Amino acid sequence: MIGTAVTLSFGLATGFERAAQRSDLPDVIARFEPRTRDEVDRRVRSLANVEDRSYRLEVEGISLSADGGSSNKGTVQLVPRGRRGYAVVDGRDLTGRSGEVVIERGLAREWDIEVGDRIGVDRLGTQRVAGLAVAPDDVAFPLAANPRVYLPETLIPAGFRDRGRSVNLALLWARDPSRLDELLVQARSQGFGLENLRFVTRDGVRALVDQIAGIVIGLLIAFSLAALATAGVMLGASARADVQRRLTDIGVMRAVGFTRAGVAGGYAADAALVALPAAVLGLLAGALLAASPSARLLEILNELSPGGALALPLAGCLVAVVALVVAATTWPAWRAASLPPARVLRGMEIRHRVRRGRTPGGPFGLGLRLALARRTRTLATASVVAAATAVVLLMLALTSFLGRLQDDPGVVGKRYELSARLPASAAREVAGLPGVEDAAPRYVADGVDSFALGQPVRLVAFPGDHVPFEAPPLAEGRRVASDREAEVGQGLADALGVRPGGTLAVQLSSGAEARFRVVGVVRTLDREGRVAFVRSARVLAADPGLQPEVVIRVEDGAQTEQVQERLLSLGAEPRAVGGAAPRNQAFLGVLAGVLRVVALVNGLICLYVLVQALAVTAAERRQTIAVLRAGGARRATVTTMLLGTAAAVLALAAPLGVVAERLVLGPAVARLAAGYASLPLGAGVVQVALAVLGLAAIGAAAAAWVARRVEREPVAAGLREG
Amino acid sequence: MVAILGRSGSGKSTLLNLLGGIDRPDAGTVEVAGLPVHELSERRLTDFRRRHVGFVFQFFHLIPELTGEENVLMAARLTGAASVRHGHELLDRLALNGAAQRLPHTLSGGEQQRIAIARALVNQPSLILADEPTGNLDRAAGAAVLDTLRGIADGDRAVVLATHDRDAAALADRVLTVADGRLRE
Repeated sequence: MIGTAVTLSFGLATGFERAAQRSDLPDVIARFEPRTRDEVDRRVRSLANVEDRSYRLEVEGISLSADGGSSNKGTVQLVPRGRRGYAVVDGRDLTGRSGEVVIERGLAREWDIEVGDRIGVDRLGTQRVAGLAVAPDDVAFPLAANPRVYLPETLIPAGFRDRGRSVNLALLWARDPSRLDELLVQARSQGFGLENLRFVTRDGVRALVDQIAGIVIGLLIAFSLAALATAGVMLGASARADVQRRLTDIGVMRAVGFTRAGVAGGYAADAALVALPAAVLGLLAGALLAASPSARLLEILNELSPGGALALPLAGCLVAVVALVVAATTWPAWRAASLPPARVLRGMEIRHRVRRGRTPGGPFGLGLRLALARRTRTLATASVVAAATAVVLLMLALTSFLGRLQDDPGVVGKRYELSARLPASAAREVAGLPGVEDAAPRYVADGVDSFALGQPVRLVAFPGDHVPFEAPPLAEGRRVASDREAEVGQGLADALGVRPGGTLAVQLSSGAEARFRVVGVVRTLDREGRVAFVRSARVLAADPGLQPEVVIRVEDGAQTEQVQERLLSLGAEPRAVGGAAPRNQAFLGVLAGVLRVVALVNGLICLYVLVQALAVTAAERRQTIAVLRAGGARRATVTTMLLGTAAAVLALAAPLGVVAERLVLGPAVARLAAGYASLPLGAGVVQVALAVLGLAAIGAAAAAWVARRVEREPVAAGLREG
Repeated sequence: MVAILGRSGSGKSTLLNLLGGIDRPDAGTVEVAGLPVHELSERRLTDFRRRHVGFVFQFFHLIPELTGEENVLMAARLTGAASVRHGHELLDRLALNGAAQRLPHTLSGGEQQRIAIARALVNQPSLILADEPTGNLDRAAGAAVLDTLRGIADGDRAVVLATHDRDAAALADRVLTVADGRLRE
């Protein structure tokens, strides 16, 4: 479990930085309408704090085709000599030779292209694929709609000669990245006259990737960390249970003259000898199980697997696991060795005085009493199973949440079901359509904070009150009541340090600025909470060319499809509104794979812990079982008895697990994954019922398996003991 | 009532285990009332024990978490409601009502062994196998237990008693001796 959790969390948490470093991702990427290289270079040269630069022509809408697929949404970048901004992960980079291309890894995987294969590139005809590249400034195809191909600029390919020597993309590497704000301020002033100038910083790129998959990745990382902590509890409890099983040995050792330190030291050495190879095997197995889905997830995000770098956190975990097992073994051994040997030999925790009438009769009741006679072990086993149950519940809640996140706009606070590209003036007409409860134009304007230019901000604007259409919960302050006011997302409030009473100044892509007084902070999942809800007057004043979409609330009981048909008759192309997660099936498939691995690991842990506990009980109560068998008890009777023991453990573990998930793990993961939003990660009734059923099945399987093993032992052998 | 007499380690307990079907012979055959016990499958051997055999052990082997009554009724539950009723009757008959509601560690050795006898009888088996039933009791308690076993044998059941105590063996109708791996009259 630890190996799985570390592989997932380390790979995902560091994937972007690793890819950014390896690909030499620029600090600023500027896009603009094509200009001559000389003009752009003249402007860039005047900027301070620029260590290096690269200018390119990026052409969109290119037809690409290969045996495995085709697209007419391809993007071609003409790459000059110098720094690339992408990492070649297979084959080799462009050499300037014509007839060769480098393609993005996502495209190669999706269309099953290998280095040396050929790909058709629009008017250029077929080109040989020299290498595969990863550029983390966007997610990979097909999660991104545009597959990317890189061509050498030195020999301007014949198909692009009509573009001349113009460029529309500038990659800038800062000398001092901590002073990026100043560079951006200068660049904006120098960019005056460049049309449609847009800057993206590394933070912006990260926000872009997060917009697509951030909440999912955040949840996975947080989930892995929670699983890691749970695994620690399990290890400690299992090691302690093992010492409890060997109390008689400790009594004998003390009786024959071993010192306390000798006993504890011996147990510590034993524990280390067992834990070291076991931890190596366990960590490797967990890492191997998670490696494939984790790598696939990183590929989809255009990030790189940690490879050998994973060895360090795994080695750290190895040390921590061995230390934990040694400590959890040594401490109870030391405590037991401190007691009089006679007491230890009697079995210091057995409690035979189980009150009559509190447990049912028959083999099942006997099993319950056997568990109650070993309360410490039962509690330790129950705590381990409870921890695993809490993780499974969290996983079920997570799966359900991700499903809703994908399909249910309500999860992200949206109250409208449809949207359509229509002029603002059409909203009134749309609102009058049968089946439509209300409609309004919704404007979206992207910009950056005027005081911290690296911080992207999205303004969501409605002409009037936004609450009937979009109402993320208020965390602080109040709702917007005038054109001058704004509600900011928690993510934005945290990033900019603004609170109710502060000022939000946004520089829009038009170059104009819009200022608002912050009156409220809302919890929203949209763009990691880096959004602000405002009225549209000031936004339109700053960017008069902004085009809205009309958002539509469908009446209760009305058919959304019928409303869509009516909108079509108006000439609109209505779109059903989804949630916040990507709709990419491959991505969700990989995610489901990861969750399945974690679920499998947890289920196996529950089964192992229960089998171990029941096997210890059966070994300790060989005589009792032998007496029952001598009296004619069949395997079913022994199974029923062990079921009683398992039930005692599960009756404690199930509620403990539910409480732990609802009060600890769920809120902790929600906070870790998205502190800027309210994530409903508490397990619901259905999930609890599923987990309880799963536990019952695991308990029955464990009891049946141990009973089967018990039956193989001759009855007389069990009776000889004692 | 048959007494098997022999020193410790002579094989008395092994003989009883073979007769009761809780151990299997490495070689040879074991027949009980004409039934070839050595040939029975594990499942049929279990049925054989439940219907036909009752065990009484030297160390009682009562389940420590169950009261005297529950120890008796646990065995009764393996065969059904009639045996449960019989279990209550046995506790009455063996004067164990005082011990019935107590846990084994609060009972005297004699009481524990009589509870064990009641447990052996609860399913009304035709054969009672008692392995050193007085070996862990004082003289008075041992005598009481032997009287109980004698009474059972005087009814319609066979009792095979393994012991190294000649006085105990003297109560039997027939005494067999185990020595050097052989059983002699």
